[in-house]
Amino acid sequence: MPELPRKKVGIVACSGEELAEGTVTRLAALKVLEQLRPADTVTICLPLFLAGGEGDRAFARFYPTVAIDGCDQRCAARATKLYSGKPAASVVVTDLIIEHGLGKPEGLRSLNPAGLQTVEVTALHVAGLVDSFLDKHWDRRRGEFIQEMPQPEAGQPVEATCSCVSGIPIQKVEINGKTVTLVALPLIFEQFRQDGKMPANGTLGELLETVRVYNAIPAAEEETYAAALLLAYLEFCKNKEAAA
Amino acid sequence: MNPQPKVVIVPCSGIGKTYGTVSREAAYEVTGNIRPEETQLVALSLLVLGDESARAAVARNPAITIDGCKLGCATKMVQESGGTVARDFAVLDVYRRYKQFKPQGISELNQGGQQLACALAEEIAAVVDDLTSGSQGDPHA
Repeated sequence: MPELPRKKVGIVACSGEELAEGTVTRLAALKVLEQLRPADTVTICLPLFLAGGEGDRAFARFYPTVAIDGCDQRCAARATKLYSGKPAASVVVTDLIIEHGLGKPEGLRSLNPAGLQTVEVTALHVAGLVDSFLDKHWDRRRGEFIQEMPQPEAGQPVEATCSCVSGIPIQKVEINGKTVTLVALPLIFEQFRQDGKMPANGTLGELLETVRVYNAIPAAEEETYAAALLLAYLEFCKNKEAAA
Repeated sequence: MNPQPKVVIVPCSGIGKTYGTVSREAAYEVTGNIRPEETQLVALSLLVLGDESARAAVARNPAITIDGCKLGCATKMVQESGGTVARDFAVLDVYRRYKQFKPQGISELNQGGQQLACALAEEIAAVVDDLTSGSQGDPHA
């Protein structure tokens, strides 16, 4: 069954190749993604915010995201905010080094013991942030936490997930003569179809509300959106049947 | 007298795939060991952020990009930063030329990955030599 990517936390590392601290960010991110919180985290390459598509740029709005930077230039945090959405947290390796009284990381390709220790500290810190974010409800329209009870969730696959080639699925829909990009619409349609919710007025309210979780729908245009969504969903189901 | 312009090396910054690691290792090999005087490593994250010194480096000097996947972030970012890509390497294409070196691992490359990175680094060094000798070579060779 397709799964709307709900309770995952995004990890964006600066990966700064010029600094040993950049290597720390990369290895710490990998440790969280592969070992510490594989089922709860997903990553994307920072350059994809510019070099990728709209789905890639939706990343930090879709997932509460931890930016891990090697230095106080904070490329990952600032670029994520600039091109995608404000990170839920910004971690700077040099700050953690001071805070924990660690030695200076050295070695771009092969970290010294202080660097390896910094990887451990950074990864544990990020894993703690991931845990805290999973208990909160993320508003994907506004890209910030809201004070609500978290929704019950189905189990997540246990694997590290790289979003480089997937991004967030989007679909463009004609609404009132304008082309509107709706985040996650293909996944929502697939979910509805597999749940046996056929395109009809009876499911329209639920469809509109689900789409609203991920997208801003102006109150004055709700009816127009609903009509456009119904048409798009009909088309989706027709294409699926034709392909079957 | 102006200093000899350096060739800028921009590797992929991917953390999720083996080929990204190979691209980075090759870049380190060239800039740290094989051609340290003739090359300069520029971090992709700085270009993403629009860092002035990184943009100036790619604007002033020919760039060699190394991409770990078909999305070609390194190449795209150099171009978007106003730089000239003298040669773009795709690790997958390089692997096709050296299939005996099968790369594995992300945090740490296996021996095949290290060998592939070294082979790629030698190819990059040859392009660096062309560029710094003034012959420039064929950017699309």
